[in-house]
Amino acid sequence: MSNEDAEIMRWLSPLEPNNRHQSLRTDRLGGVGDWLLDMREFREWRGSEDGVDKAVVFCSGNPGAGKTYLR
Amino acid sequence: MIDSLCDRAEEENIAIAGLYCDFLARQEQTTINIMGAILKQLVGRGDVPKDVREAFQKAKKDFGGRGPRLADLMGMLRTTIASLPRVFICIDALDECLPEHLPDLFSSLRDIVRECPKAKLFLTGRPHVREDALRYFSKAVVIPISPNLDDIQNYVDMKLDRDPEPEAMNDGLRADIMKVILERVSDM
Repeated sequence: MSNEDAEIMRWLSPLEPNNRHQSLRTDRLGGVGDWLLDMREFREWRGSEDGVDKAVVFCSGNPGAGKTYLR
Repeated sequence: MIDSLCDRAEEENIAIAGLYCDFLARQEQTTINIMGAILKQLVGRGDVPKDVREAFQKAKKDFGGRGPRLADLMGMLRTTIASLPRVFICIDALDECLPEHLPDLFSSLRDIVRECPKAKLFLTGRPHVREDALRYFSKAVVIPISPNLDDIQNYVDMKLDRDPEPEAMNDGLRADIMKVILERVSDM
C-alpha cells in the first residue's frame, strides 16, 4: 500500500475494526453460534437478492448471552 | 458470524464490513468514525476509488487537513457500494455506543439500506436498543439470542479439559459442575 493510500485509510476513520475482529476470532471457540447460521431468518437475510424488506437483521439478547461470541 | 460470511465471500464476490462497538471506545465511536470505518473496510479490498482519493486530497488542502464530513462519507459509501456486487455491514453491540450517537448512526444506516439495495445490515444489541432499531428499521427481522445449551456444554468441556490441575477432577465433580452451570444458564 502506498503512503498516500495508508494516509487515506487513516483519514477515513481512526477506528480499526479489523484488529478487534482478529483478536475475537483467535479467542472464540469454534462451532459456537453455528445454530444462528442455520436459522431460516439468517439464511433468508444472507441469501435474499436486492430485497429491501429482508435487508436488516437485529440480534437482541441480554449481556453475556453470546451475541458477540463465547470464550 | 463474520468469519462464516467471509468464508463464502470470495467465491460469491461479497464485500463485508464489520465493527464491534466498545463501551471503552464510546467517545471515539461517533457516527462519522463508524461510517468512515465501514467505508475504509470496503475500499481496503482493492484500489482506492477515485472519488475517495480526490476527497482526501481536497480535505488535506483545506485548513491544513480536516476530517471527512458525514455527507461526504455517505456519498462515497453510496458510490463504493454501487461498485460492489453485494455488501454486508455488521455492527455489534449497539448498546455500547453513546446514546446521543445512536439516532445519527441509525439514520445514516437507514439511508444506506434505502438507497443501496445491495447493502444488508446485521446488527446486535441488548433488548433496550431493539426498540430504537425498530423505529428506524420497521421491517427488521429480530432474532433473539439466548445462551445455547450445546454451546455452553462444549465450552465447559473444553475448559475442564484444559484444567491446570487435572488430578483434582473426577467424573462426579465434572458432572456436578456441568449440571449447575447448565441450570444457571437455563434461568438466564
